[in-house]
This record gives sequence, C-alpha cells and structure tokens, in this order.
Amino acid sequence: PLGPTSSLPQSFLLKCLEQMRKVQADSTVLQERLCATHKLCHPEELVLLGHALGIPQPSLSGCSSHALQLTGCLRQLHNGLVLYQGLLQALTGLPPELTPALETLQLDIGDFAINLWREMEELGVAPAVPPTQGAMPAFTSAFQRRAGGVLVASNLQSFLELAYRALRSFAKP
Amino acid sequence: ECGRISLPTPTVHLGDPITASCVISPNCSHLDPESQILWKLGTELQPGKRQRRLADGRQESTITVPRLSSPRVLLSCCVRWGTSLQILDQAEVQAGYPPATPHDLSCLMNLTTNSLICQWEPGPDTHLSTHFTLKSFKSRGNCQTQEDSILNCLPNDGQNHCSIPRRDLLLYQNMSIWVEAKNALGTSKSPQLCLVPMDVVKLEPPTLWALAPSPEVAPPQPGCLLLRWEPWKPSLYIEQKCELRHQPQLGEDSWVLVGPLLSQTLQYELCGLLPSTAYVLQMRCTRWPLPGQWSDWSPSLTLTTAQR
Repeated sequence: PLGPTSSLPQSFLLKCLEQMRKVQADSTVLQERLCATHKLCHPEELVLLGHALGIPQPSLSGCSSHALQLTGCLRQLHNGLVLYQGLLQALTGLPPELTPALETLQLDIGDFAINLWREMEELGVAPAVPPTQGAMPAFTSAFQRRAGGVLVASNLQSFLELAYRALRSFAKP
Repeated sequence: ECGRISLPTPTVHLGDPITASCVISPNCSHLDPESQILWKLGTELQPGKRQRRLADGRQESTITVPRLSSPRVLLSCCVRWGTSLQILDQAEVQAGYPPATPHDLSCLMNLTTNSLICQWEPGPDTHLSTHFTLKSFKSRGNCQTQEDSILNCLPNDGQNHCSIPRRDLLLYQNMSIWVEAKNALGTSKSPQLCLVPMDVVKLEPPTLWALAPSPEVAPPQPGCLLLRWEPWKPSLYIEQKCELRHQPQLGEDSWVLVGPLLSQTLQYELCGLLPSTAYVLQMRCTRWPLPGQWSDWSPSLTLTTAQR
C-alpha cells in the first residue's frame, strides 16, 4: 500500500484532473438546464426537501488537507463516484430536454469511476470487493426528480471541488 | 418452366473462366424438345458449347467462358424458334477481386459530436459490392486482451469513415480498432489500432480577437499587436497549448510561427513586426501536456501595427 507521502503517476493525475473538470462541466450544464427549464436555480432553496429525500453525501475525510492520505482518499473518491452513479441513475425520468445532459454526466462519471478503479488496482490500493451503491432515495414525483437533480448536481460539484484540491497535492513535487 | 441456367457461383475473379449449364424441359409447350440450345454472352452468340440428352429426356447444354473480362456479364440460354431466337433463362455473372487490405486507418475524438470518428483507405476498386465494418473492443494495457466488445460500426454505403458513439466508449481507456472488408470473393482486415479516445481528441480552433486598449491595457508599441483569444468552449476543461502564425497581408512572406502559448494566457503582445503594416493572424490549439491532435487553424484575424 501507498505511504502517506506517495504521489500519483503524472499521466494518471493529469487525466484524473481533466476528467474531474469534465464532470464538473457536465454537472454545470445539467444545473443550467434545470434552472432554464424549471427555474430551479438555487440548491439552497431545496435544503429542506433534500433532507426529506435523504440524499446521501459521500465522505472525503481522507482527502481533506489536514488528514490527507492517498489510499484513503482514492477509495473515498471512488466510493463517491459509485454513489453518484447510483443517484444519477435514480434520476432517470427527468424531462426529455434534460436527458442529453443527464446521460453525458452519467457516461462521464462512469468513465471516471472505471479509470480510477483500474489505477487503484495497478497501484495495489483497490479494496478486495468493489463498492456497491447502497440504498438510493426514491424520487416519487417529477418535481422531486428535478429538485433531486439540482441537489445531486450541486453536491457533486462540491464533492469534486474538494477531491480536485486533494489530487493536485498528490502531484510529484 | 422452359429453361433453367445453373452456375457454380454467381461471382468469379475477373479474368477467370466460368462454366454454366442450361437444361430445357421437354414439357415446355410449343418447344421442340430436340432444339439446339444456344448461348448469348451479353448480346453475342457464343461458340463452344456441348449439348447432351439427360436420362430423363431433358436436353442439357454446357458452356465455358474462358475469361470474364468485365465486372458484370449477362449469360442467356436460348433456342431458335421459327425465325426468332427465344431466351429461356438469363443469369448475371459478376466478376471482380477480393477486397484489398484497408489501410491508413486513423481516428479522431470529436467533442462536437461526442464520437470517435475513424476513417480509412479502402484500397483499389474490387468491382464487386464490398462492405466495410469498423470493429473494436475495449481493452486494458496494450490491447492484447479483449474486455468488452463494442457494437460494429457500419458506414453508410460508399463511405470510408464511421463514428463510434460516446455511449460505446471509455474515453480514458485503451481500445483496439480495425476495419474489415468483405465481398463475395473474400474478406480482409486492416492492421489494428490501439488507442485511448481522449488521446486523439481534436479540438475546434480558438477564437482570436484584437485586444482593445483600455485603462488597464496600454496601446501597443510600433511594430506590435495586442491580441487575445478564447479556447473553444466545450474544451475549457482540457489543458491546452496553442500556437499563433502570422504573415503580412500583402506580399508573399510565408507564415511565421509563434508558440507555444499556454491556454491560460488568453492574451498576448506580438512584437517584432513592421510598423503600419496589416498582418493576418491565425491560431490553433491542442490538448497538452496530455496527448491530442492539433485543431485546424482559426479563421484569420487581420490587424494593423501602430505607426512609428
């Protein structure tokens, strides 16, 4: 296993960072569409609903600046991506005008999760059993799916922002 | 049914012989069962056939055309009937070549269509209906082992390019790609490519503008130009390097290349030019430091340098 001060192969790190920016860009497009089509522009207006829906938010404690640990951070990042894959899957049924944006985001997160898993395998830090998505919230109305889309996209942005800063610090000195 | 032609195969190599037989039926009304069977190749009567009576009383004629020299031939089985020549059956024979090995296979990841577009050279005309299929599979490492297969990509007829859609791609993993050509005379395969889709991404050109003087931006020195650019919006998440080329608008000077310019720069003062002179400028960008393909050059921007 990797030591605390280990670093990531440069090429993989650059690809990882690029993929993060790509997923963030996809997520922004989905948020913009939800804002344009349904005036759901502010996640903070949906906090109450978010609690009621029980939208899980993955931990990135291993990636925080004061407890940075490569193996733990990579595993948590991968777990988070798998979780968001599930959450985005649960949003299936959004209106047709949002489907392209959702599908692109689903594809790119799926790509990112596969790449990360394969790199973790090559680094010898992949857990024995791949993570599972766990229980997903049930979005039982069109509005809940739209609101869920806003919240999931917003949470994903914050998740990736923290992961991005952490990965940058794993670059070779 | 009065006559029936039989062919061993409807398709042969151009230049090869072909043997055909025609059997006429005794119960073909109004036809003398002892008629002599004649053959026409296209519109020409053919010599050199053999006719015999079969055990069941039918007449069979066999002809060998020594060398088919055109890609499409009509072979007719005929009999004389009064003063006319009656066609009892007709067969179309195609002649051509097996497919050559497709070559020069190359692919680009297109972020506009979000697909991997591959093109190839089909090789010489086979004169036969030849179908091309772009085949691929996802892999790890250097494409020695197949992981997931990918749906075959069928180009439109006559086209030598095909697009693999985003949903079939893993943008950051290796995939093996090749072209298969097939016609009635055989199959051939191109050499296999092993690539990562994002490593062959081709960006759209950036947009170039003049940088207008402002309180923050001093006017350019004589012989200098102030310009700014914006990477193509869908590629903003990709780190890039760019290069600029310029030449005087008038005259025969060749392009002068300036670069690399990192994509975060976004504005640039180009100096060392002739004063009071109109210059044509273009820029292109590529993914960098990760691999990628250069974009095309941007549309030209014409700017004139300040007077001395």
